[in-house]
Amino acid sequence: MASAQAATDGDEAHVVCESIHLGFGGRDVFVDLNCEMVAGHVTVLMGTSGTGKSTLLRLIGGLQRPDAGSIRVAGSELSGLAEVGLAEVRTRLGMLFQNGALLDSMTIFDNVALPLREHTKLARDQIAAEVRDRLDAVGLEDVEHLLPGELSGGMLRRAALARAIIESPEVLLCDEPFSGLDPPNVERIEGLLTRLNRERGLTVIVTSHHMASSLRMGHRIILLKDKAAVSGTPRELAMSEDSEIHDFIGADGAAYLKTLSDAEAAS
Amino acid sequence: MSNPVSDLGRQTLGFVSALGNITRFGSDVVRNLFRPPPRIARTIEAIYDLGFLSLVLIATSGFAVGAVLGLQGYTTLVRFGAEQSLGAVVGLSLIRELGPVLTGLLVTGRAGSSVAAEIGAMVATEQLDGLRMMSVNPIHFVVLPKAVAMTLVMPLLSAIFIVCAIYGGYIVGVELLGLDGGAYIASLEDSVDFREDIVGSVLKAWIFGMIIGLISTHRGYTSAPNAAGVSRATTSTVVIGSVTILFSDYFITALWGV
Repeated sequence: MASAQAATDGDEAHVVCESIHLGFGGRDVFVDLNCEMVAGHVTVLMGTSGTGKSTLLRLIGGLQRPDAGSIRVAGSELSGLAEVGLAEVRTRLGMLFQNGALLDSMTIFDNVALPLREHTKLARDQIAAEVRDRLDAVGLEDVEHLLPGELSGGMLRRAALARAIIESPEVLLCDEPFSGLDPPNVERIEGLLTRLNRERGLTVIVTSHHMASSLRMGHRIILLKDKAAVSGTPRELAMSEDSEIHDFIGADGAAYLKTLSDAEAAS
Repeated sequence: MSNPVSDLGRQTLGFVSALGNITRFGSDVVRNLFRPPPRIARTIEAIYDLGFLSLVLIATSGFAVGAVLGLQGYTTLVRFGAEQSLGAVVGLSLIRELGPVLTGLLVTGRAGSSVAAEIGAMVATEQLDGLRMMSVNPIHFVVLPKAVAMTLVMPLLSAIFIVCAIYGGYIVGVELLGLDGGAYIASLEDSVDFREDIVGSVLKAWIFGMIIGLISTHRGYTSAPNAAGVSRATTSTVVIGSVTILFSDYFITALWGV
């Protein structure tokens, strides 16, 4: 385990954050933060509340700008881009917001179809086929005509996921996709994200407080602490002797290591 | 202890900064007006929400205002034996001033506040950020249709307000107080000039529509992303919108004689 940037040597980085400084109201959130997210990997951003997980995700999406530092997404430097340039980069990104962020005046079908209607010249029936394909992919049926307010939290999250992947992005940003969900729904969303990563080669960046899911699904975990980032594989973090990391991961780390050793013994 | 001079300086800077922000926002809205695709369906939807759903309020308020004007006008005019001019008094005061101004204030309260609250709630629930992440410009998709709809519906609502108010004045003056109906209509027709009064009234209502559209969308768009932010956006839309309408009415009247 090392600094977040050095840890990914040898793999192609899809997202690179270098020397990020950011402050709010006189308080530093990031001081010289460096990290990389590898193409085709699931990277989980973790940390206690207020360490800036969602903020880092918003910086990567260009929704916020750092006070200083560089953010490159798929080779494009975000810091110098105007809104038009950012819109260009965002066509390669999908984002799943914590509460879905679906337009509440539009049906689920219209919400999922919106990016295609805005950016493609597909015919109406082609758009309908694409929307149904994505809704099937996230396991939603018979909800097309409903408004977002008529769905449960888990269904809403899955509908938002369908919208996020409708244009087949290269990078999927997920802000707390498990928060407020019951265990079956956590498992379902975790399974969907893992499948999207494996089957479509999507680079997935997730912020999460859900330790067990994060350890299971993450190729790498970036832990935000002391206004900077440390990263490692789930195994490295679970075995860490740093007391702060050990306390943060808690019993889930031991359970994860036991699962790993059981699997190794079985094979 | 606060220093009055520095307080005044801070408030002046705040005012100039707010003015700069809304000017930049307004120019953004105007720039987006000429960008494809035209948001026709969303604009029609907004016209229904802001215009059609305000009709009952506008019509009943107009009728009530006209009835009061008829009653007060008659009581005053009868002292000078000039009650035959009631139609002119009611019509001119409504067409030149009360129609556009009162409609503006009513629309600010009903439609302006709802626009600010809706856009503010979209900010709080990250719906506008969601649009940005889909490379959809929120000003083009959300703000523009509402601002355009507000500008289009205000002259129509003002006209409906005026017609209902003239009818309210007629009911009170003619049906209740016994004035001759022909005299009421004739004095109205004689005194109202199409170019000076009617066109001026439509122009005023149109400008008020732009003001309400701009202020309400700006307050919602720049609101803090929480419940208190939505509440502040709604309140400030009504306060700033109403005061701006009243002041701009004075300036339009003074400068253009409308």
